[in-house]
Amino acid sequence: MTKTEEALALASDMMENWAWETITVRPEPNRLDATLKSTDDLIPIVVALRVKRLGYLSAITGLDLGVEAGELEVLYHFCAAAAVITLRLRLPREAPVVPSLSEIIPSAEAFERELREMFGVEISGLKTPERLYLPDDWPEGVYPLRKDFDPSVLQ
Amino acid sequence: MQKEKTVSSFTIPIGPQHPALKEPGHFLITVDGEIVTKTVVRLGYAHRGIERALEERNYVQCMYLLERICGICSHIHATAYCHAVEQLAGVEVPPRAQAIRLLVAELERIHSHFLWLGVAAHEAGFDTLFMYSWRDRETVMDLLENMTGNRVNYSANLLGGVKFDVDDALEGEILKGLEFLEERTHHYLDVVKTDIMFLQRTSGIGVMTRRQAEVLGAVGPTARASGVARDIRVEAPYGAYVEHPVNIILEQDGDLRARFIVRLRELFESYRLIREVLETLPAGELVGRVPRRIKASETVSRVEAPRGELFYFVKSNGSDKPERVKVRTPTICNMLSVIKLAVGHQLADIPMILTGIDPCFSCNDRSVQIRSGDNLQVLTWEQLRQFGA
Repeated sequence: MTKTEEALALASDMMENWAWETITVRPEPNRLDATLKSTDDLIPIVVALRVKRLGYLSAITGLDLGVEAGELEVLYHFCAAAAVITLRLRLPREAPVVPSLSEIIPSAEAFERELREMFGVEISGLKTPERLYLPDDWPEGVYPLRKDFDPSVLQ
Repeated sequence: MQKEKTVSSFTIPIGPQHPALKEPGHFLITVDGEIVTKTVVRLGYAHRGIERALEERNYVQCMYLLERICGICSHIHATAYCHAVEQLAGVEVPPRAQAIRLLVAELERIHSHFLWLGVAAHEAGFDTLFMYSWRDRETVMDLLENMTGNRVNYSANLLGGVKFDVDDALEGEILKGLEFLEERTHHYLDVVKTDIMFLQRTSGIGVMTRRQAEVLGAVGPTARASGVARDIRVEAPYGAYVEHPVNIILEQDGDLRARFIVRLRELFESYRLIREVLETLPAGELVGRVPRRIKASETVSRVEAPRGELFYFVKSNGSDKPERVKVRTPTICNMLSVIKLAVGHQLADIPMILTGIDPCFSCNDRSVQIRSGDNLQVLTWEQLRQFGA
């Protein structure tokens, strides 16, 4: 078995057979997508991934599913060889909160700060909540990567 | 009035106009005497809102915008994006096009590493090395210009293939250029390994252990200089790298010296790859057909940019425009390592440590905002076009 297959097999075993109720799909041969039921599951799963030394956090993607759907998605991509294991969280558009991973994975901090600025997802436990990318005089509560962002508010 | 005894720590703001780099980034460095005790980084001075702009453009237009995220690694951005879109559309790219993509990517890596060598040498105060390495870099710039017509944004990629072919004359030029560059690289490797003055600036400076590199999430040559075997071309071969495997280059020391050696040794691997590809260049078409509209789906594309892993997440929605394109560039991963490593070093070593990761701020930040006085002026797309015309 190649490293990629090993990582995918281990990850699907973890997600499907352990205590958390996750819904896993294999959208592409090298990818495993696990939708978590609740944000409370995130930390334990990430800890388990770290303990098993399963990949590294490659990126955190924010998605706005639109005003009608009323939801945001946050995707945590863990990569091991060619395998990409994605933890998917659905959050309400109003007051979304996710726990910070920076205690477990220090490199998560920069990704989390970007997510917070661009999508307005509050990161609980984030040690440095200052802005990283947007200007200091950027208005509060305006998130440029949300689908309903209107640049005219800046004028 | 009673005179207060001052605390010995002092905070020095460096940037956004950075003395060491040609790009903007702000560093707040707290020092105790000459020793750095804390570093805070502030990015975004080159933030252009590209990720948002992509959602309002069709797949073809997006590629031109993505190529302009970074002037140094424009080809690799387009390649990562093309791989993702081709994956979503289910399009097979002709083998010849894949090989030419690899060729341009490796030429780009050569020019990027030479550029870095020059900048890093300049930071060390070794301007002779800076001038020689940039003179030699012109060789590869000429090759890229002869091939694509451009020195910087080569725009060699098309969705489904490439625009430019390689003929015998060009092949001869490339081989000749490589011969010269290879000889020069041997010389530079010798210099960075033996020059006493240079070693004093690099040896044992900014040491990142293997464990630290893993925890801090370093990528690319920065990680490989600390013995972390992380190279997407090796771990998850894409395109023509499947047929032309790459030998991973590792160094164990994790200091600045090791970062110089890793990048220079990687150049030999690039020369080897280019020769191998030119020898075995498959005949055939250059472009596969990609539909205008792409069915709703998601994909991840990872490629090895000169600075490390470049991560693209593309979501399509059935229209001719992407729903979302997420770009995670290598610099953000390596930036954290600088902030953590700087602590305990002399202030004078900071520019070198920062340059050691080969930071690219335009990659890192991705609105057009023009400040006039205190007014924040935002230009619409139409205004911007008029402004540029």
